[in-house]
Amino acid sequence: MAQLPPQTIQRDPQLFYWILFPITVVMILTGILRHYATVLMASPPKKVEQPALKEQRSLMHGVAVRSNFHVLTAPSFKARREFLTTAFESGAYLKDPERRGQPPANPMTDPGAMDGMMGMMKNNMAMMVPNTLIMSWINTFFSGFVILKLPFPITIKFKSMLQAGVATKEMDPRWMSSISWYFLCYFGLQFVFNFLLGSDNDGAADAGNGPQAPNMFGPGVDADKQFQAEAENLAVIKHYSVLDDVEQRLLEGIKTR
Amino acid sequence: MPTEREFQVAPIVPESVMHNTKALSNLQSLTASIFGVAAGILGLESYSGFLFYFIFTILTTILFYTFRVAPTSLKSGLGAFDTSRYFRTQYEFWAGGVFGGLAGYILTWTLFYGLVRA
Amino acid sequence: MTWFSKSTTTFGFLLLAHACPSSSCYSAYEHSALQSHRAASLSSLSATTQQAAASSSLPLDISLETIVATVIITLGLVLNTAKLRPIQWRVWAGQIERAGEEGARNSSGEIDKDFVGNPFKLLESRPGFVDIRKQRKEFAEWVKQQ
Repeated sequence: MAQLPPQTIQRDPQLFYWILFPITVVMILTGILRHYATVLMASPPKKVEQPALKEQRSLMHGVAVRSNFHVLTAPSFKARREFLTTAFESGAYLKDPERRGQPPANPMTDPGAMDGMMGMMKNNMAMMVPNTLIMSWINTFFSGFVILKLPFPITIKFKSMLQAGVATKEMDPRWMSSISWYFLCYFGLQFVFNFLLGSDNDGAADAGNGPQAPNMFGPGVDADKQFQAEAENLAVIKHYSVLDDVEQRLLEGIKTR
Repeated sequence: MPTEREFQVAPIVPESVMHNTKALSNLQSLTASIFGVAAGILGLESYSGFLFYFIFTILTTILFYTFRVAPTSLKSGLGAFDTSRYFRTQYEFWAGGVFGGLAGYILTWTLFYGLVRA
Repeated sequence: MTWFSKSTTTFGFLLLAHACPSSSCYSAYEHSALQSHRAASLSSLSATTQQAAASSSLPLDISLETIVATVIITLGLVLNTAKLRPIQWRVWAGQIERAGEEGARNSSGEIDKDFVGNPFKLLESRPGFVDIRKQRKEFAEWVKQQ
């Protein structure tokens, strides 16, 4: 059998005004709405109790010393290391020192942990609700229309996805229905939001969840164990300074000029 | 590839890296959509469409190099096509944004192909 | 520079907007012609495939116009991007020191929103090193002059 002629389907140009255009506009507006909803719903950072803050900050102090040891001189680094390791090992910075060695509390009972989960829930809801709403809106009003043809061929497997609601066996899988236009918009509208809202926006669904707080102090983590590990990390560092051989490097830099 | 020690001797500004990468990726996502419009008008199909996208993206990157990177980078004594003044790796500069704009390209390509052709 | 890049982009968009409907009209016209022709000679399948292949070619002037418009828009957008910043601390700090706020102006003459200024300001104005007595004396003299 010879090559089949490409299928042509005579479509009403009104399809553009009544399906393609509304879906695109709704997608863009939803993205903008979602961006502003996330901005408005962002909960301010919660006040932390003093002992808990002390625990977090001293652990961060340890990490900072460990990762920036190269800018300290050898004696100064040694003094810091000795002080911090003894303090970490004795548990001087723990939130409640008498609970040392016990298993961590159940995160479900901790009110502080619940708050973090609520924030995550809110974020997920802001993603989920509009998407399900738009999907069902498209399925109710626009199902069963063939609106566009993809400019590149795809395999038959995509047929059920692209032509949902159009049960025609012989149709080329390149023809797509309104729901697949929705999917294309869902993934491809990032540039519109970049243009409209600035580049770090929450408009697009798959743009990640923005800067996440480091989850090292999350619920259910044993602070004492973290301190022990950090003390060990500090202890094994082999110290050197960036200023070692600095004269040599300077001379070389001058020579090559 | 510089070692950790070299990074400590000559530290890198993370804000500047972010700023540069963002400038490049914003440009590429915008231009990708324009290329989609053009490809749709030209009525390109399958391979030629993707080839069109890659050629024009590389062209954009070269233009970006000549207008944004080259003037200062050549003055500071770096060789031609050396982007180490503004980007950490060559790969990040030449290939980093190619796939970021692909979704937007396909969207506008399909849209204009559908409007103009079929 | 900014008016140049903006006008370049606008010109490119105009060109593209001109190319788009003209090709659309053309293709719509061609399409209908093809349809009628196909109806006339439905019996010969080979002829139909030939025309289908022919339908995918566009007149040269329109494709040229589209490509030129794309290149012009790209040029305008590239010229419109923000200035890059050196990623090495020593280069970047030196540039800030020499240029100050002027170096962070974008193409439309405003200072970038995320410009942080001198990163070593914290170290350079350590309150521990402030000569408070001298400042008090200066302040007293200033008050007397008023």
